[in-house]
Amino acid sequence: MSGYYFKTEKLTVGYDNKPIVKDIEIGIGKGEILSIIGPNGAGKSTVLKSIARQLEKISGAVYLDKKEISDYSGSDLSKKMAVLFTDGIKGDMMSVEEVVSAGRYPYTGHFGVLSEHDKEVVFETMKTVGILDYKDKDFDKISDGQKQRVLLAKVLCQEPEIILLDEPTSFLDIRYKLEFLSVIEKMREKNISIIMSVHELDLAKNISDKILCLKGEYSDKFGTPEEVFEREYICELFGIDEKNNQFAKDKGIEIF
Amino acid sequence: MLMRKKKVIRCIIAFTVLVTGILVFFLLNIGIGSVKISLSEIIGSIFLKGNDQVTDTILWDIRLPRSICVFILGGALALSGYLLQTFFRNPIAGPFVLGISSGAKMCVALVMVFLMSRSFKTNSFTLVIAAFVGSLISMGLVLLMTGKIKSMAMLVVCGVMIGYICSAITELVVTFASDADIVNLHNWSRGSFSGSDWNGVRIVFVFVLISFILTFLLSKPLDAFLLGDSHARSMGVNIRALRVGIVLLSSILSACIVAFAGPISFVGIAAPHLMRKLFNTNKPIIMIPGSFLGGSLFCLVCDLIARNILAPSELNISTVTAIFGAPIVIYILFDKKKHN
Repeated sequence: MSGYYFKTEKLTVGYDNKPIVKDIEIGIGKGEILSIIGPNGAGKSTVLKSIARQLEKISGAVYLDKKEISDYSGSDLSKKMAVLFTDGIKGDMMSVEEVVSAGRYPYTGHFGVLSEHDKEVVFETMKTVGILDYKDKDFDKISDGQKQRVLLAKVLCQEPEIILLDEPTSFLDIRYKLEFLSVIEKMREKNISIIMSVHELDLAKNISDKILCLKGEYSDKFGTPEEVFEREYICELFGIDEKNNQFAKDKGIEIF
Repeated sequence: MLMRKKKVIRCIIAFTVLVTGILVFFLLNIGIGSVKISLSEIIGSIFLKGNDQVTDTILWDIRLPRSICVFILGGALALSGYLLQTFFRNPIAGPFVLGISSGAKMCVALVMVFLMSRSFKTNSFTLVIAAFVGSLISMGLVLLMTGKIKSMAMLVVCGVMIGYICSAITELVVTFASDADIVNLHNWSRGSFSGSDWNGVRIVFVFVLISFILTFLLSKPLDAFLLGDSHARSMGVNIRALRVGIVLLSSILSACIVAFAGPISFVGIAAPHLMRKLFNTNKPIIMIPGSFLGGSLFCLVCDLIARNILAPSELNISTVTAIFGAPIVIYILFDKKKHN
């Protein structure tokens, strides 16, 4: 698996030295999107947290730009990798603009004062993501959909090469979901790699280059959407039994 | 861009108000008392040394060191409160609420009684160290509990309980102490700035200045920390080191206060909260100097009242800070409810 921008070798992750998922082998190139799917509790977030170094990995290696991830200093890594996790952010009297500016942290000087260039990046990002209208609002007082976009802007502001997103589309209504996807597409155009966990299978199928399926102790399958999305396999992955399956067919519900 | 300018202007005005307030109340503190000293006499005494002996003595040996002590320790108290509120992400955390002051008080009482009964002279430095050890012990206990308890209300209750335990031990020590010690201890434990001298000012100045500078240097990681653990970590902040730093700094700051003025309630909660409202931000880079100045002003006002309202007898400072501070805490709780 050489030539990948990001890859893992025999990565085992879990809490308190108890493995949840073992021997994960994945890799993506620049500007590619990898989606992690699997039933609740399969360890999607655990995998993401371990990759982001928020959680100590149990064994194995994670390579980012040909360098083992533990060899990066905290500030070097923060210039390459940005994360957006579900454990919410409290605004703490900050305006939307201030929250977005927080993404410039790795680039500011000792006291975190924004330079003219930083301010420009913040402004441009807010424009790209489309949140300029409410940039002066109190972060705690905007809607969940707006919050998600603000946090996405914060992450983009960090000018990373790879972004990790944990269930970025949950809690978003269809309009925000589409807007969110359009931002993701813009990131891909900028050659940013994305790893995200998603519940919506149709979404994963349509925008991803690679899919990682998690179930049980080992990562179940890793491949392109075409390889992964077969009805029989998906049913097995999520434990959809004959009864559920028949019901879906009768009612015309698409599984993915 | 307009919004940003407005914020800068607000900060400048707020800082100007604070500094002016401090200057005014500093002078009032020096001037008002059982002996009134006029402004011209103050200026004369400081710059010309031309007043009569009595005025000079009152000014130089009593009022000036006391006012400086109030200024420095009031600031330290508020800063310590701000650090603890940031650490626990909890607006009513403070050295007094979490039992940290009481722990410091207990250790100081132990050291005082133990050393005095062996006719050692206790100097200010020993007291600061004792208070520091005491505050670290209570802080350690609180931290142990936060590992198990997530709820903010429970944490506060635990802090109050730790405070009671420490107070009980202090009372126990007092029971076994000799009469002379008790007088000393009692006066001190009520919390008062009386008895501040230049020696004390020097020690307090050094400790608080160093802690203040170190805290200020932490303002950038603290800023990231405010947005949550996961954000801070992804920005490359070493959270464990930052936590240790916050604990040590807030303990040193509250130790200084307890060692020199005894436990003073509510300033640590009230002052940072008022400053958050005044500056309309919680950004450490503004709130660290802001809380410090706010705490100074708060204490200068309270000490002025404590000294003069029932003159010639003096109230202890906690009485006054509680009267002004406690309603603010109640207000914070109501305010919180409204937001959720």
